Amino acid sequence: MEIAVCVKPVPDPETRLRPGPDQRTLDVEGVKFVLAGYDESAVEQALLLRDQLPGSTVRALAYGPAPRTPEVLRSCLALGCDSVTHLEASAPVDDPMAVAAALAHVLASRPADLVLVGKQALDDEEGLVAPALGALLERPSFSSVTDLRWNPERSRFTFQRSTDTEIERWEAPVPLVIGLQQAWNDPRTAKLPNILKARRQPIDTVPAATIEAAVAGRNGRSLPLKFELPAPRAGARMIDYSTPAEAAERLVRLLREEAKVFP
Amino acid sequence: MTPGLVVIGELRDGRPTEASREAAGVAYQLAAGAPVTGLLFGSPEDSLTSSWARDGISEVCFLPPPTDAARQAGALIPGVLSVLSERSAELVLLPSTTFGRELAGGLAARWDAGAATGVTAIHRGAAGWEVRRPVFGGRATETRSLSGPRAVVALRPRAFPAPEPRDLPGASTQRSMPEVGAVAKGPTLVGTEPVLTGEGPALGDATIVVAGGRGVRSADQFHLIEELAAALDAAVGASRAVTDAGWRPTSLQVGQTGRTVTPQLYIAVGISGAIQHIVGMIGSRVIVAINSDASAPIFKVADYGIVGDLFQIVPALLAEIRRVRGR
Ligand SMILES: Cc1cc2nc3c(=O)[nH]c(=O)nc-3n(C[C@H](O)[C@H](O)[C@H](O)COP(=O)(O)OP(=O)(O)OC[C@H]3O[C@@H](n4cnc5c(N)ncnc54)[C@H](O)[C@@H]3O)c2cc1C
Repeated sequence: MEIAVCVKPVPDPETRLRPGPDQRTLDVEGVKFVLAGYDESAVEQALLLRDQLPGSTVRALAYGPAPRTPEVLRSCLALGCDSVTHLEASAPVDDPMAVAAALAHVLASRPADLVLVGKQALDDEEGLVAPALGALLERPSFSSVTDLRWNPERSRFTFQRSTDTEIERWEAPVPLVIGLQQAWNDPRTAKLPNILKARRQPIDTVPAATIEAAVAGRNGRSLPLKFELPAPRAGARMIDYSTPAEAAERLVRLLREEAKVFP
Repeated sequence: MTPGLVVIGELRDGRPTEASREAAGVAYQLAAGAPVTGLLFGSPEDSLTSSWARDGISEVCFLPPPTDAARQAGALIPGVLSVLSERSAELVLLPSTTFGRELAGGLAARWDAGAATGVTAIHRGAAGWEVRRPVFGGRATETRSLSGPRAVVALRPRAFPAPEPRDLPGASTQRSMPEVGAVAKGPTLVGTEPVLTGEGPALGDATIVVAGGRGVRSADQFHLIEELAAALDAAVGASRAVTDAGWRPTSLQVGQTGRTVTPQLYIAVGISGAIQHIVGMIGSRVIVAINSDASAPIFKVADYGIVGDLFQIVPALLAEIRRVRGR
């Protein structure tokens, strides 16, 4: 089985957030970009499935500028992906629908049986790429997926999708696009020899001009205008009390009169 | 015909969900008097049409309810597209739920639209629709411009007020739309289990969430959390420590590998406040933490904190809430 996993370089989760000089986006000065969040789970899940299905390959794809994008693809190699493809861009890509269009263009010329995507990126949290890829590649697509397993007797995947009110259990043959919520395991970490080896492994590239030509016909655009931090939370107002009943009474009064959130 | 505004709603228990009502209210305001088309997947019903009309919908189109196999966005898109083209729509609003986000992504791709999810404010800007949305787990907010002739915007549940019911008897008409397109053969729904939230509201949709962590100690003692939630008409949430231990199902898990919730009030009981938990609840308007450890990181993100033994505090809180609410 050919498994494609699409990942996005995102700021290290520990990054201190602040607006950049133009106030439009995050200040990326000195920020380390990494594989993180649901994308990390998607890579883990791809590798677990490959180990279960002899003869499978895992290819990671990412769209974005250097150096952050090839760096993240190298970490995919270090984790065990068989090959990686860098969709080059001359500037950061801020529009999720453009990302989906670019990935769909590349995946159309070399289809995968299973396309895995994190259900949303750790930074912008849009969650649009998996369903958009499904629509563009004309394949069934499911997001918020957990417990993705291959059933060899039935030659189908089984998985769960959580909606707000239900957990649905599905069965589906390939081809399939999945927006993953959780792998069976917490993501593995790369071993040092593999990190060193990954430095020498090749990265396939698709030139920026090819990608730009492929997505140029799109009309709908999403552009960042402003990046803001909330007023810092003052830290909790700690409730003084001498008895639990007093603590309860004070909290309820604050919720009613000050926060106005008491039902 | 003026370019249209279309709201896609979700039904639950035979009514538009709260988030669908909120979307209708937003559409009504943006339309400033122009008609708003509502779209539902279900059989036409007068009571449905009139209840949504009071939220600002002038016409309700009913698309055939999805069969089990069609419970995925791709199967619904052809029908939606036919309504959008008939109405010369330029903006689609829908709830930013699992369903709404899947539909938003698929629809925007096929309709060649700009798209945004988790949106908490929207207005018409110089170059298109301007939307605000929390990013980085609520640690920052971005404003985006959706330019181009068409946009799909998924609105975060509870970020907008429920619309004041308008008295517009008979203002709304309903139409039943024909089935369009074919359902992809392949995926089959094998079964569903309700997300176990007890009697309370769904976790993603709740105004108040009461969540318990490892500090609650056992599956049995977790009933205390459920009692507190019931007293507040709240949904029940849990940390991963609780779901990993099997005390409660993973569907209740809040955080990076669980759900993201944005209620008006989030009460964290016996939860330490690991970053993977925080990202799932930091967007809540007011956060209360109850924890015996004064140095627990949860107090850094909370608005109100009580340091104490939850087995003493929660029963006292239950008594006080019942007293105040008179039940
Ligand atoms: C990849 C990854 C993904 C993850 N995803 C998630 C996720 O989605 N959601 C999530 O929640 N976690 C997630 N985690 C786990 C997370 O790191 C924490 O381990 C987890 O949130 C801890 O749960 P907890 O706060 O209930 O338990 P603990 O950290 O053990 O905290 C228990 C708290 O209860 C307090 N306590 C104990 N007894 C009492 C008492 N009698 N009265 C009052 N307070 C008491 C303690 O002081 C302590 O602060 C993830 C971890 C990883 C590595």
